[in-house]
Amino acid sequence: MTSKIINMAERIKDAEDRLLESIFASTPIADDGFSATVVRRVRRGLWLRRLAVPVAALIGGVIAFKPLAGVVTAVISLSSLLPQEMLNATTTLIPQAQTIVLGAMLLVAFMLGLRSLEE
Amino acid sequence: MGTGEDHQLVARVVSAQDTAAFGELVRRHQSQVRNFLRKLTGDIATADDLAQDCFMHAWDKLQTFSGRGSFIGWLLKVAYTTFLQSKRKSKRYAEILEQLGHATETDGRSYSVQPDEVTDLDKLLAVLTDEERAIMVMSYACGLSHREISDATSMPVGTVKSVIFRGKEKIRTSFDIKDHQHG
Repeated sequence: MTSKIINMAERIKDAEDRLLESIFASTPIADDGFSATVVRRVRRGLWLRRLAVPVAALIGGVIAFKPLAGVVTAVISLSSLLPQEMLNATTTLIPQAQTIVLGAMLLVAFMLGLRSLEE
Repeated sequence: MGTGEDHQLVARVVSAQDTAAFGELVRRHQSQVRNFLRKLTGDIATADDLAQDCFMHAWDKLQTFSGRGSFIGWLLKVAYTTFLQSKRKSKRYAEILEQLGHATETDGRSYSVQPDEVTDLDKLLAVLTDEERAIMVMSYACGLSHREISDATSMPVGTVKSVIFRGKEKIRTSFDIKDHQHG
């Protein structure tokens, strides 16, 4: 009820309000390719965003490849120093460790593939 | 220009990132947004650049449009924020130039028109502050209600009304608006 009264009060305009409306009135501006330019900018932004993640992953992979390879080599050389009983004990404690790691990697790859398909 | 159609287009953009639907929204409202910014800045090129930025921000923030008010009201809010941000940026830039020893001509006014193109409306807008100008334009040129202006400017309705009153008072004391020429 109160809002209706406020709206009615707003609609009651005096001569000065009407005069101001006529002064402020402006002719419509033709589109002249404005909307096409905006849509082009939006589409370019979308493409850049879609490309950003794979490109960043690729660059990160390339940068990380050498240090990662060094870490793997170091771990392999360290494991040869460990007593055989200790390695056997680890395998006994977590028998499905290899399967779990492989499964997790496959799951991540599947999720990434699904997301790119959705996009 | 139906509000319902606007809301349907917004839903298409938000749910499917439909750029064609967004293009239709831009086509429908570009004239009002550009006119609003031209009246705020007094410069066609600056206003059109800001209008493009405004629509880019609108694309990014479209999911925040609740659908309660009119779409043009929400869009003018984005346009006004874009204008204020650009003004702040140019102010900072002027300050940096000043610190570096370059003389600048900033007197706090962002409204500038070419002297040979001055209309009655330009003279009238020049006496108002940015805030008064934005609110007066939203009210008298864009036809927004006080409630919609309040939403667009994040000001209480009472403040909007008093700003309009103050703006009218300034115009009344500076000009005899009854003798104006359209332009």
